[in-house]
Amino acid sequence: MKKITTATLLMVFAVGTIFLGMTPAVFAKENTAQFEKEWTAFYKDIFDQNFYSEGINQLDLGRWWRKIFRKKIPSANINVFDEVPDSNFFTNRHARARLSAEALEKGYHEEEGADLSQPLTVIAAEQQGIHYGFIVEDAKKDRYFLKFDSQGHLELNTGAEVIASRFYYALGYNVPQYNILFFKPDQIKVSEDAITYDNTGFVKKLTQQILEKYLLAIPQLPGGTYRASASKLFKAQEAGDVSFWSRKKEDPQEVVHHRDRRDFRGLRVFSAWLNNENIRESNALYMKTNENGQVAFKPYLFGFATALGAAMGGDKPPMLGYEYLADYGEAFKSFLALGFREKPWQKKWREASEKNSPLSSVGYFSSEHFDPARYKTLLPYEAFRLVTSADGFWAAKNVMAFSDEDIRTMVKAGQYSDSAAADSVTQTLIERRDKIGRYWFLQANPLDGFAFSDGKLSFKDLAIDYKFIPKEGTIYHVEVVSSGKKPRRIAELKISEPILSIQPEWFQNDKDINLIIRVARPSAKELGFSVSISLNTVGIQGIRHQD
Amino acid sequence: MKKTALFLCLSFFFFSVFAYAEDKKEDFYKPVYEKPLKTSSLKDPVSRVLAFPFELIKWPLDKALVFMEKKRLDRKAIWLYEKSVEYGVTPRVDSLNFNGIPSYGADFDFVRIFRQKEMYPDLIAKGWINHGPAVYFQTGAEFGKQRIADTGFHVSEFFQYENRRNETFYGIGPYSSRGDSASYIIERTTLATRAGYEFSPTLDLTSQFGYDHVNIKNRSHGGKGNITEVFARDNIPGLYGDDLLSYSLSLKRDTRDSKSSATQGSYQKLIFKYTDGVQSSKAQYFTYQVDAAKYFQLASPRRVLAARLFAEHNQTINRGDMPFYNMAKLGGSGTFPYVSQTSRGYVYDRFYGQSTVLLNLEYRYTIWQYREFQLDTVFFVDEGQVFGNLGKFNFSHFRESYGMGFNLNYSKLVLLSFDVAHGDEGTQFYIENKIPF
Repeated sequence: MKKITTATLLMVFAVGTIFLGMTPAVFAKENTAQFEKEWTAFYKDIFDQNFYSEGINQLDLGRWWRKIFRKKIPSANINVFDEVPDSNFFTNRHARARLSAEALEKGYHEEEGADLSQPLTVIAAEQQGIHYGFIVEDAKKDRYFLKFDSQGHLELNTGAEVIASRFYYALGYNVPQYNILFFKPDQIKVSEDAITYDNTGFVKKLTQQILEKYLLAIPQLPGGTYRASASKLFKAQEAGDVSFWSRKKEDPQEVVHHRDRRDFRGLRVFSAWLNNENIRESNALYMKTNENGQVAFKPYLFGFATALGAAMGGDKPPMLGYEYLADYGEAFKSFLALGFREKPWQKKWREASEKNSPLSSVGYFSSEHFDPARYKTLLPYEAFRLVTSADGFWAAKNVMAFSDEDIRTMVKAGQYSDSAAADSVTQTLIERRDKIGRYWFLQANPLDGFAFSDGKLSFKDLAIDYKFIPKEGTIYHVEVVSSGKKPRRIAELKISEPILSIQPEWFQNDKDINLIIRVARPSAKELGFSVSISLNTVGIQGIRHQD
Repeated sequence: MKKTALFLCLSFFFFSVFAYAEDKKEDFYKPVYEKPLKTSSLKDPVSRVLAFPFELIKWPLDKALVFMEKKRLDRKAIWLYEKSVEYGVTPRVDSLNFNGIPSYGADFDFVRIFRQKEMYPDLIAKGWINHGPAVYFQTGAEFGKQRIADTGFHVSEFFQYENRRNETFYGIGPYSSRGDSASYIIERTTLATRAGYEFSPTLDLTSQFGYDHVNIKNRSHGGKGNITEVFARDNIPGLYGDDLLSYSLSLKRDTRDSKSSATQGSYQKLIFKYTDGVQSSKAQYFTYQVDAAKYFQLASPRRVLAARLFAEHNQTINRGDMPFYNMAKLGGSGTFPYVSQTSRGYVYDRFYGQSTVLLNLEYRYTIWQYREFQLDTVFFVDEGQVFGNLGKFNFSHFRESYGMGFNLNYSKLVLLSFDVAHGDEGTQFYIENKIPF
């Protein structure tokens, strides 16, 4: 009897699953991969990262070895100067050569935005609870993915998405074109073969009536105008998921596994800055492009609608950014403390009287209790856990490259109707930027901007330059050693200014020398991390910050 | 002219120097590496071998999850459930039973099924059917009115048939031995009329007049003996079933913030019942029952102390009997479909007695939260005893069990509960989708 009942249950379940799964592959059309991916693949990500990888990591002997002996895995895609050269994944932009205010505000753009000379045609729509997304085609036959704010939170998600896209792009990542799009109800219509997934999960023909029903649930600006974040859908061919762990095997240009790429690791720092804890594999996609006659696989990041103070459905829940979705370590600590441990996010939430910003378009976004060292993305990617001091320094340097004015300019792209909201977001980003800079510049060796001329090596102490620490009392301990397998100490000296005279006699037989520089701060008991400069008579041959 | 030539020369010199300086400036971003970039292994060979069997599991699971999400199966399932409830059929899956197979069933709201809810919002026309494979089968119906003439008065007729196929019996009283295990099948048909008054949404008084027809089938089952053989020398009342008439009055007050997983408030339930056997039954007794719980927040909703008191006394009258199957019972987690009271260090139905006193104390605290999801840790102590007459109550007869567990909630609705409890008869494990109180 029991066996029969079990078999019956399983059969009912199987038949039910097949029945429920019987929907046409309507989204197998071109240019919808980003749309489709953003609405799906979250469960797989959760399972893979939060459950499978967390368990399987415990079987990684190398990981245990590194943990016990405090070893680190240095990033592998860095050049001799400790920088990340341009690649399909990352292009050094603002930190390398300052972008103009216009370029910062516009971000990546192919068009000025959707062409509204004719009504936008909705090709597909998705309703998920109170969230709506449309794929529309404009007069130029370009397709855009429109996302909207939820009721009571006008400008929150749309603003966050566009602003975050500007930052990721200016930092160096590939993102689709994002714009704020305003349109009137009469500027949108339904295509004849449009379809929709509504709350039922079943695919239906999208009619004008259904579209109007959706539009009724979407918040409007005074005057009946709709506001959406519009991302231009890729015209290139979608070429699969981007793993945050391993490389894309089909791409011969991609040699280094993503776990060991500094630009991947740096995403943790950048996402901490932008409070985009939702950075995950399902928000990244390879696109196959043809550049100069060569096939290239370019990974794109997208789905920034839950950055800053936003989340699906409104304000960001207070635990996000502080804990992984399933955070075993935090849960275990709370378990041991018998419930009497107040977590940082709980403290922050209590101090905020359990209230979000009075500005509904800002949500829950502040710099109080923001700790760059402890920021956690929603899912625990190993690449983010492996961020070394050198990786963090590189990322922080990129973050600090944005001046207050740059940030203000990029926030303008969010087109907040209330200047107080723009000011609040700008101020928080400035404060979070400084916290990131302060943490990583003091955590790592903050010397940068090395130049060798006239027999003098000059450099910048970014911690001092950005005024995170006073110049007074800072001493640079320099050790000069010969290059080769058995380095020999040539000289040792202490300097108080970031400039060093290189003695010609140090270059014996025209061999390279290495200068190992450590910084002694008056407030610190020990010397900090080192930076090693490889030098010969021609100039600087290499730079390496200690991991 | 000379000046112009001098200016041009100086300009040329200046820009040459500038250009030279630019040329000399090192490009720190050029793709020059210490060693040619190569693909290094992400894991050592031993770790890869260790992980390999799990990779085989991961692949189909990943595919299934993507399929589920791509086909919106989760949303379809939720929609189907909500639609089903809207149309008057509420599917239910209850606690996982000992076989690891959930019991399942459905509640039917006929008013909704026949689309009469708007016309008759206070009409009660319910039915239910529940089945726990190899454990129980239950079906019933209730018809009546929730509010009469816009007052708090309510009245209903109740019918239920229940067949429990695997009830256990270890003897009566605090000294029974787990070694004397017997099993029986109980088939109970109940007809009742209920009437009462709802003073407020939190306070209700209900009286009931009911008839129970109880069939008992004694037999060996699942390694347990036949009651009539195991307890041949004991006089176990009600061994062959009864026909019972009962009159009861119950007062309920419930101010909990959630019936599934309360963090504040309390509930109190007082029952007075008179039961009289008819036809050949010798049963005749009064039942007094108190069930009360209070939930104390310890300076935070994340820390809750839950205390519960359950007491029942059955007083036989006129030399009547108290059927063993209606006695107070202790053992198990105390959640539906099991009917014995919460004493988690002991097996289900472990103790039978005319009277019982039980105290449950739980400290629940939240260790993880994600949006509406919440994981609580629970430490608990259950202290209870069964006894006969009130005079036989003895503090030394208390049987204690203690343990801990985890409750996973969504929006104060328990999704999964795992408990491990220890008593002087061993350790018990529970995996359920509800908590006892």
